[in-house]
Amino acid sequence: MQTQYKNLGWNALFVLILVALGGLVFLSGKKIDYNWNWQRVVPYIVNNQASAVTAPEDGNIVSNAEGDLALESLAGDVLVDLSEYEDLLVYEGDLIFEGDRLASLEEWRIGPLTEGLIVTIKISLWSLLFAIVLGLIIGLMRISSNPAVKKLSIAYVELIRGTPLLVQIFIVYFFIGTVFDLERFVAGVIALSLFTAAYVAEIVRAGIQSIPKGQMEAARSLGMSYPKAMIYVILPQAFKRTLPPLAGQFINLIKDSSLVSVISITDLTKAGREVVSGSFAPFEVWFTVALLYLLLTSSLSWAIQRLEKRLSASD
Amino acid sequence: MTRDYQGNDMIVADKINKIYPNGCHALKDVSATVHRGEVVVIVGPSGSGKSTFLRALNQLETISSGSITVDGTDMYAKSTDINKLREEVGMVFQNFNLFPHKTALGNVMLAPLKVAKRDAATAETDARDLLKRVGLSDRMDNYPSHLSGGQQQRVAIARALAMKPNIMLFDEPTSALDPEMVGEVLDVMKGLAAEGMTMVVVTHEMGFAREVADRVLFMEDGELLVNETPEAFFDDPENPRLRQFLSMVL
Repeated sequence: MQTQYKNLGWNALFVLILVALGGLVFLSGKKIDYNWNWQRVVPYIVNNQASAVTAPEDGNIVSNAEGDLALESLAGDVLVDLSEYEDLLVYEGDLIFEGDRLASLEEWRIGPLTEGLIVTIKISLWSLLFAIVLGLIIGLMRISSNPAVKKLSIAYVELIRGTPLLVQIFIVYFFIGTVFDLERFVAGVIALSLFTAAYVAEIVRAGIQSIPKGQMEAARSLGMSYPKAMIYVILPQAFKRTLPPLAGQFINLIKDSSLVSVISITDLTKAGREVVSGSFAPFEVWFTVALLYLLLTSSLSWAIQRLEKRLSASD
Repeated sequence: MTRDYQGNDMIVADKINKIYPNGCHALKDVSATVHRGEVVVIVGPSGSGKSTFLRALNQLETISSGSITVDGTDMYAKSTDINKLREEVGMVFQNFNLFPHKTALGNVMLAPLKVAKRDAATAETDARDLLKRVGLSDRMDNYPSHLSGGQQQRVAIARALAMKPNIMLFDEPTSALDPEMVGEVLDVMKGLAAEGMTMVVVTHEMGFAREVADRVLFMEDGELLVNETPEAFFDDPENPRLRQFLSMVL
């Protein structure tokens, strides 16, 4: 009971500090005399601006048996059935020329920021997939008793971890991309996967080495080959132990994906830059971009926490 | 192949030596034979090489020289598939080494499913029978972390038996147990011995050795010094070093 009240006080303090920080941000926003205008960001996320339905050819507006209007070509074929549109701009008998507006249509469309978000999700998921596969292979090579295999993986990890991701992206895009004639998106995925795989490999190695030696011995004593023992006994246990560091690495991957905007992939960050130059609302746009990244990373960490809970059944 | 082996000598170790890379000479010219249905207990002070010897019998330790024939198969012959041979040799460890991510039933079923490729229904029926046999019919769906040491070790015995081995190796199976749980594990082992299983047991349980063993081996400093019946071993020890050892443990 007592601790409950004590915690209540501390929680209140936490909220108070958050509110104070928010207030400070608000006041500094006032002080710089910036005209905050959050509505300007909305159309860049989703918009429902009216778009026009135009005539593909010259023709006439005719009315059919049910009284619905349609555009008929000079030859007498129905070109556009207008019955499905509500805001009609033409009347029966109108003479229509190619490009004339027939009706206006309101529909929800995703804005450039959402498109950027989707590109970021796509590039992150592909990179995640390849990074896991490659990282697992490199990690297993790292604990091999074959010196050639082992040293190859060490060299890989040292090389990748020792150079900046930005430089790697440039090298993959300008050198490897030119040699193999790669698209930007593919180059971006390759650079991110290669980079993340090096870290995943180290996590996998540490995870496998943290499993007691007796587990491998017990599996082998039952007649399992080394690969079978790895697949059915060691890796499932190692996977569970490495989930927290892997989650951190995957969150890093999502954030690092913002760097691919330097090779002109229109991900969330690049979309943000473009929107800023169109909307003249840099503060709002960058805050929105940050929020969208936060949305991605927090849903990933939530999903991994769920997985951890499910795997903890054997604890 | 080995399934059809009808001979009487289940394990023949001939002058085996084990020298570790750091120069430690763990086994020195150890020769021993285990006959079909025999229970052989190995005792000796810690560091005497008895565990190394036992682990050499299913190649968890490779030997430096000598030869080992298990179940009629020369272990180090080029044509020998060690994984096949290990299916014939069950092993129980001091620290149980149960798979923590599997239930008791899952532990017992894993190797029959993945190694022997038995179908799931057969594997499960067999596993349930085995767990019943070691007295754990009400603990089948528990994870190892929810079992006592004695229960874990009995699951480990069931897991080794699931591959239907011809030989069972026990590496100090009761040393990590609380005293009140030693009995339940020894009872299971006695049951196995009574059924005629060929067993090699490294243990400090002298009572078990005297009661169950057909022969008792004494090792010290990597040498096999005594190979006798329990009566001769305990009641009338000739070897002075064995006498000294027995005076300390009995």
